[in-house]
Amino acid sequence: MKIGRHFYSDILDHLNRLQFQETPGIERDLLFLSDEFWLQDTAVVEHITKGKGMYWVGLIFVHSNQPLRFLKRVITGYSDHRKASTSAHYMRRQAAKDQRGTLVINPKSLNFNLN
Amino acid sequence: MSETKERIRRVAEKLFFEEGIGNVRLQQIADETGISVGNLAYHFKNKDALVQVVYDKLFEDFSKILSNYLQLPDLRDFDQLFELLYHFYTKHSFYINNIWEIERSYPDIKKSWSGFNQKIILQIEKRIEYNFQRGVLLSEPYQGTYHHLAESIWININCWIPQQFLQGKKTTLNLYLRAIWNLLIPYLTPKGRMEYETKVPSALQS
Repeated sequence: MKIGRHFYSDILDHLNRLQFQETPGIERDLLFLSDEFWLQDTAVVEHITKGKGMYWVGLIFVHSNQPLRFLKRVITGYSDHRKASTSAHYMRRQAAKDQRGTLVINPKSLNFNLN
Repeated sequence: MSETKERIRRVAEKLFFEEGIGNVRLQQIADETGISVGNLAYHFKNKDALVQVVYDKLFEDFSKILSNYLQLPDLRDFDQLFELLYHFYTKHSFYINNIWEIERSYPDIKKSWSGFNQKIILQIEKRIEYNFQRGVLLSEPYQGTYHHLAESIWININCWIPQQFLQGKKTTLNLYLRAIWNLLIPYLTPKGRMEYETKVPSALQS
């Protein structure tokens, strides 16, 4: 049976992919599980900023017990503040561990020294 | 294939290499094989049938090379391919002397050979792609560079032996491998160079 160029190319692509799929995983590949484990217990805060003529929707992931441990990611931008705010609301609900928003950050956890 | 047929095929292959397909007569093949022309005609009805059988063997051996795609997961796979092709061309050197004859007078063989050529070029290209994904080859400087590189490698694989022969220079496996690797080496990343120097057999020997 003769096969065409495209089909042959697809077969070779598949064989290439097999080389990656059949390789045993290395410990380093799974380090993100332990390194980013703290993200499991984070409160998610919406953060909308203005810049370059757009409203930028960002999410801040803050550890509930150690608020100084946080991660900020800008997700997308809108030209309208209301759209940005609606989008941020739903994004927060998608990203947060507790969709109702019961996980909060206690300012006392910052442990400020007023001296 | 019967023993006599195989003997005839080998003699034909040798004569095609020495004198070219167009210059070889059936009488000559029969004489060299030590059989009568009648006996030869019993096995092969004409010269075209004989040429076809000679090339069928060539295609069979080439198919075996094609089936070795990514047998090794690193740059040694390239080295193995180049080595297999070197042995292929030294075994079937008649092919080189008869490229134009086939081009002119045997369209079916030409078409089959062209199909094999396209497959091996595609294989080289996909090997390059695979090694780029592994991080041992740099990203291509311009779009299409690696496609042209695959074609250049194929040209070198095909033409290096006759070119050396025409210049009266020697052809050894090591020189052959070096000539082809020289096309790939500039595109190796530091990781690729390390792998080349520590794993590839031809680099270890030189």
